[in-house]
Amino acid sequence: MSSQPEPAAPHGAPPARPTLPRTFAAMLRDTWREFLDAKVLYLLLLAIALLFGTALTGRIEPQPAGRQYLDIAARTLAADLEGVDLASETLGDVAGRFNGAIYAITTAEPLTSDLPDGRWKATLTRTFVPVVGVAEPSEELASRFGRIADGELWRVEEITETGSGWAREIGSQTWEMTVAPGRDLRLLWPHRFSLFRDGVELAGTKGAPLGLEVLILQKLLTTGLGGTILLLVSVAVTAAFVPNMVRKGTLELLLVRPIPRWQLLLFKYVGALLLVAGLLGLLILATWLITGILAGIWTPGVLLALPSLLLFFGLLLSVSVLTGVITRSVISAMLVTVAYWAVLFIAGQMNNVAVESRIREANVGKMRPVSIADSLRGKQPRREEPLKPGRKPFYQTAVGRTAEAIYSLLPHTEDLDNLVDRQLMRDYAVAGPFRALMESGEFSWRRGIVLTLLHTATFLAIACTIFARRDP
Amino acid sequence: MVVSVNQLEKHYGVNRALGGVSLDVEPGTLFGLLGQNGAGKTTLIKILLGLVAPTAGEAFLLGQPVGTFSARREVGYLPEDHRLPEYHTSRSLLDLYGALQGLPRRDRSRRAAELLDLLGLAGREKLRIRGYSKGMKQRLGLAQALLHRPRVLFLDEPTDGVDPVGRKEIRDLLLEERRRGVTIFINSHLLGEVEQLCDRVAILRKGRLIVTGTVPELTRQKASWIVRFDRDPPASFHVPGTSLEAVDDSGTLRLVIDSIVTPAGPDGALDGFVVAAGAAGLRLRHLERERATLEDLYLRIAGEGGPT
Repeated sequence: MSSQPEPAAPHGAPPARPTLPRTFAAMLRDTWREFLDAKVLYLLLLAIALLFGTALTGRIEPQPAGRQYLDIAARTLAADLEGVDLASETLGDVAGRFNGAIYAITTAEPLTSDLPDGRWKATLTRTFVPVVGVAEPSEELASRFGRIADGELWRVEEITETGSGWAREIGSQTWEMTVAPGRDLRLLWPHRFSLFRDGVELAGTKGAPLGLEVLILQKLLTTGLGGTILLLVSVAVTAAFVPNMVRKGTLELLLVRPIPRWQLLLFKYVGALLLVAGLLGLLILATWLITGILAGIWTPGVLLALPSLLLFFGLLLSVSVLTGVITRSVISAMLVTVAYWAVLFIAGQMNNVAVESRIREANVGKMRPVSIADSLRGKQPRREEPLKPGRKPFYQTAVGRTAEAIYSLLPHTEDLDNLVDRQLMRDYAVAGPFRALMESGEFSWRRGIVLTLLHTATFLAIACTIFARRDP
Repeated sequence: MVVSVNQLEKHYGVNRALGGVSLDVEPGTLFGLLGQNGAGKTTLIKILLGLVAPTAGEAFLLGQPVGTFSARREVGYLPEDHRLPEYHTSRSLLDLYGALQGLPRRDRSRRAAELLDLLGLAGREKLRIRGYSKGMKQRLGLAQALLHRPRVLFLDEPTDGVDPVGRKEIRDLLLEERRRGVTIFINSHLLGEVEQLCDRVAILRKGRLIVTGTVPELTRQKASWIVRFDRDPPASFHVPGTSLEAVDDSGTLRLVIDSIVTPAGPDGALDGFVVAAGAAGLRLRHLERERATLEDLYLRIAGEGGPT
């Protein structure tokens, strides 16, 4: 046989070239199969469906509160709270805005019903000291009534001053008003929240402000417990992807293909990320639908949880991929990823405490901000107390310093979470301490995003380099 | 040359897996690579596939330096102890590898159907690989190597775990591929199979190429014959320059010719033996020249110095 003629290409046609889209699509299908094979997808879909089903047995119903909210609106007229940000002003600042008059609702009748969409007929009286104060024109009163901080409880539709001239002389004014619900009334109105057709009360019989209920529900299901469980399951499933791919006997079958090695790894990563994005999308969409159907609130703020959670998962997955490439072990990939997550969480929380202590230190003697929702429920603002003598604020202790130092090296994923929280608080008229913390400038979602992406890219680059250089 | 290897070396730390191997293989050859475990066969193949970088020396595949994408497009590989991802079905796995190899969708699906049919896996395309027997996995492994109609095939233990009928089918398939001009490298411990199948054989030991040649070249004839007479020869029967020994109880004998003491050479000694037997009244019923098998050669070469 030593001198066989050189044959033409054995099968005629020239060999095909792999294209990037074809390679990507193939790796995506491969990842999809592997994910499906873990069976966990069905469990997750079932869990989301159950969640959805359970939520749809729920009822959110407004409780009578019109008179109470008219009273609050009248009381706050005493201070000029236009444009007040309770998050940043002290009581001293607020006191300076008092105009020396007392307002009260004397009669109030619902024109339709005592519900957040009902109009009211009310009588308002104003008492002032004649020498110091002056009579307030109806138009001015109408423009001020129902506005608290940056929220709008009521809107005055009609107003007539009914008090007599002599009463005005001795410091008493009376108006007959027709008021309609303002922009934020519904969000602040107390609602009962029950599941299983009134079987389980979740907000007590008096209810809680609707905005707060929606916020807690959305947070619980997305960046809170719901998202955490979904990401945990996703970490467990995807931890097997790379070790399965790089194990002996499987790896050679991939590496022998005419494509660069980094593509295999990166496309597997992107495939897994897209799958988890789909699941997160479903969860967040379900949450949005649940709160939309139950509460009729369709503000899209909660959809921000998708990029936030996905960026976070992308980071975790890059750690998992890197560990998988180095150790080729599913258990190691899973453990290291969960450990990294724990470090991020603990460092994030400790950093929050440090930042809070910093803000507290800077605000000693000033009033602690109270959320509108809290103040409507009668919670009084408290003054920020100085620390006991000899005690250092947390951010100055060794632990606090270490926590802040460690956090500065980490990708600030806490900021991504805060981005969602802040949006939800804005959407649902819930302000207060959290908001003060987050708007203090210590948190920056831009920095959070950039740092997270940077860390992710670094982990992936290291993984790809090792993967491309190592002999199978 | 399909494969051209020159002074190839590979070291893993202080371990030398290959120590200066040179080899040329012509197109359309069925090439058997033999050697003990750890002799360097798999390392040599992995270097040729571009999976492992050589420490020194050079290697060319289809005229190009090994490891280039254009070379890899024309190569099919079945690794030893391969583990096909178990979450795939045979159909989806071939689709994956076909796509990574660059085949368009229609080609992949047509070629997969053809190969699954050819390798006796038709009707099981929808079954997950997890449920496959060893032999089925081996057939599927072979299918993925052939999928993109490569010009060169590297097969590590291609019939491992396959039943005898299946082995025959695979041998026929490989011969058919060779007929089409495909060059095939086989690593196998089944020496009988290699002897039956391969045009050329190389034996590696401790990372060195000890011998290479065609099977007939390597299994040169020995100067011995298997003989049977119509009856047992008497104890006094003896022809100078030869000796007879019993092979079994049925009267089969081995005639060994001591060519050194026979002036006429082995053939002359045989002639003398036949004439002497006739004169002694013995009638010849069977006479067959004994051959060295590849196994004899292999055991002699690879076994030298004990296991590596």
